[in-house]
Amino acid sequence: FLSLSLQAEMSRPVQARRLEGIDKNIWVEFVKLAATYSKVNLGQGFPDFPPPDFLKEAFLRAVSGENKMLHQYTRAFGHPPLVKTLAQFFGKLLGRDLDPMTNVMVTVGAYQALFNCFQAFVEEGDEVIIIEPFFDCYEPMVKMAGGTPVFVPLRLKAPKDGELMSSADWQLDPAELASKFSTQTKAIILNSPNNPLGKVFSRGELEVIAELCVKHDVLCISDEVYEWLVYDGKEHVRIASLQGMWDRTVSIGSAGKTFSITGWKVGWTVGPNRLLQHLRTVHQNSVYHCATVAQEAVAQGFQRELEHYGKPESYFVQLPKELQQKRDWLVQSLDAVGMKPIVPEGTYFLVADISEFKSDVPDVPDSDEPYDSRFAKWMVKNKGLAAIPLSAFYCEAHKNSYSHFIRFCFAKEEATLKAANDILQKWKQEKTSP
Amino acid sequence: MLFASRSFCCLGTRTYQLGTGLLSRSVSISASATMAFRHKNTRRIEGLDSNVWVEFTKVAADPSIVNLGQGLPDISPPTYVKEELAKAAAVDRLNQYTRGFGHPSLVKALSQVYEVVCGRKIDPLTDILVTVGAYGSLFSTIQALIEEEDEVIIIEPFYDCYEPMVKMAGGKPVFIPLRYKNDGNSESSANWVLDPAELASKFNSRTKAIILNTPHNPIGKVFTREELQVVADLCIKHDTLCISDEVYEWLVYKGNKHIKIATLPGMWERTITIGSAGKTYSVTGWKLGWSIGPQNLIKHLQVVHQNTLYTCPTPLQEALAQAFWIDYKRMGDPDCYFYSLSRELELKRDRMARLLQEAGLKPVIPDGGYFMIVDVSTLNVDLSDVDEKQPYDYKFVKWMITSKKLSAIPLSAFCGPETKKQFEKYIRFCFIKKDSTLDAAEVVLKNWNKQTA
Repeated sequence: FLSLSLQAEMSRPVQARRLEGIDKNIWVEFVKLAATYSKVNLGQGFPDFPPPDFLKEAFLRAVSGENKMLHQYTRAFGHPPLVKTLAQFFGKLLGRDLDPMTNVMVTVGAYQALFNCFQAFVEEGDEVIIIEPFFDCYEPMVKMAGGTPVFVPLRLKAPKDGELMSSADWQLDPAELASKFSTQTKAIILNSPNNPLGKVFSRGELEVIAELCVKHDVLCISDEVYEWLVYDGKEHVRIASLQGMWDRTVSIGSAGKTFSITGWKVGWTVGPNRLLQHLRTVHQNSVYHCATVAQEAVAQGFQRELEHYGKPESYFVQLPKELQQKRDWLVQSLDAVGMKPIVPEGTYFLVADISEFKSDVPDVPDSDEPYDSRFAKWMVKNKGLAAIPLSAFYCEAHKNSYSHFIRFCFAKEEATLKAANDILQKWKQEKTSP
Repeated sequence: MLFASRSFCCLGTRTYQLGTGLLSRSVSISASATMAFRHKNTRRIEGLDSNVWVEFTKVAADPSIVNLGQGLPDISPPTYVKEELAKAAAVDRLNQYTRGFGHPSLVKALSQVYEVVCGRKIDPLTDILVTVGAYGSLFSTIQALIEEEDEVIIIEPFYDCYEPMVKMAGGKPVFIPLRYKNDGNSESSANWVLDPAELASKFNSRTKAIILNTPHNPIGKVFTREELQVVADLCIKHDTLCISDEVYEWLVYKGNKHIKIATLPGMWERTITIGSAGKTYSVTGWKLGWSIGPQNLIKHLQVVHQNTLYTCPTPLQEALAQAFWIDYKRMGDPDCYFYSLSRELELKRDRMARLLQEAGLKPVIPDGGYFMIVDVSTLNVDLSDVDEKQPYDYKFVKWMITSKKLSAIPLSAFCGPETKKQFEKYIRFCFIKKDSTLDAAEVVLKNWNKQTA
């Protein structure tokens, strides 16, 4: 029987064609490297500080409380207390009345929300516009759904002399963006605040995108997981609230990023019923239910935030305040040693230009691997500092667009950021000492 | 300002009382903003939107109804399982992302437990994928291995998601029914068998996989070694994969043994075996499951997983790992939860059977699982005046819910189009229920004949 199965292997692969070209994943390699070598891990995006106490308490109440049915299935499309509070919360923010049963659906993290959107709306013959640099899963998800990714880059506009770069300096060229829309365009995926750059799209920038969506009758998948992490008094504008956009937009959010609990994997989609009904179909044929206790706790977290909305005690006020401080520390640390940071307007990521440190990692001509990837690997192995190369957030063809940038995550305890600073200072001293 | 209601229904949808003003306003807003909108859903989900659970969990949500429908326990999970979750959530780093394909301590625990059961080495990193429930494992497996032109054999009655999942992957379901074999013995799930010649006729060169479910939902059949050998021989002969849904693996009753088809010769390399924390530990709301198999198959499931949801919740996985260690250490001991739950359920099974028999019904006694099917045609409830085009069992269950305040699930929900007529006289009861629920069911059944005019 062994030769029988070998024969079968040769005649046709066992796996489905939809997996073609989507098996590689940078995280597998970089997470392993960080685990093996890093003393300070500013690579993968998750906080190393604890979740807020009120949320941990809510989880404990759900786990050990009187209602033992919280350990059993809840409503498939979202635990009623959670969808109800999300509908209230986002209804306020979007300025419309949301039905918790039809305008909200809970998912296993924002990741699964993205998957549901692509499976529900994208198939062979469909083009999906992806803005580079992008959270790396968009491309394989579009491909797995049979779609064709069409890339359009944010381009770096040089800052004024003496000024630090800002994520605001990365912009879409409106004419270039318009040229990407065709009769085949099914959707555009927008991520604001943007991972990895930290760009917060302005109202004007979103209006350009919105006009094109309306003109070409295109769907908008809006990944807004970092919606609360905006700095310097900037405003996070929700594209679904713009003219003509509600009916064609699915907005995606994440409890992991909102409440610093990436390990709970609770996300959500908000949108019109005529779009969400199809997300429900995908959901009921893929995972069906999400974990009950986590949803119950997140519901209580949102209820608490509804009560404190806009007040200083609100977690949505405190968290960005703390992260802005951490951002500023990291900006200072990098600037002091000659790594040029792009100051992010939002998210907990920061990209920096490492050109001044190039001499440590010589160029290898004809190398398949982008320079920044080799640099990041060298840095974690030799300096114990983990970061992610910017090329990870570009499609294969464009991986060498910007070859000297790496991404740091600053959602870290003060001690972690100080330790990073120490590594950078020592590194600089080694370079400059005779 | 702030809603204060904490009431919710854990079983399904419930229509909330929105102010009618709000509802009509939101409808008119979207109507006015609607323009030429050419976008509809993809072909892959065409026709997959309806679902028996949405219909019946809504109907049974009324708390005055004795709910023996959807398969969820109303008994408590073991205390140590809840305690482990509380402990895990108190550790800060366990509230952040873990390894995508499965939390290290969990895949290690699973490999140890299943090495004992399967009698072979299982690599925790390459031979196991942790998923969002067994449901997620079925999805990952089917997405990874099934596509257009693939046929997948599905044994009827079947857990209802198999058919739409195969269709969503572009595959073609090929059905074969379990048939009742009257050998003079009392009604047992063992009386429902596959006809080997009929089964063989379903295999051809396009057959990519067969989905096996043992112990079986809804009948409760525990496939014997001989029956599994028939399936295995065909899989080997036709070089077919086997997707083995074994979520009820620990729930087998006296005189029966759960056999893993992956342990039969020639089967490990072509089988994905699926398990469920929800069914193992009575925690359906944790939504953790796993796929176990050879690396050359599991690696494709892992690719699907990394492109669908990437990681499963960390604290739940950690707690499950600790619970498994506790029971792994006592796998030779009757107090192990894997065996004690089964003993507890056997008593409930016997009680449920007695209640139904005393009401004049003929239940099929399951050898495993926590469901029991019953032929209700003997009650001769005339529903011909209900002019819905639904099968008899759908009408019966709806009638039973409203007039008897007892719910179940119609069996034709678990059948392909050709077989619905065969099974429409059966309904399915779930008996993983606490004593007070079964007491309430007893009252309904005892009073049944009194109320029927």
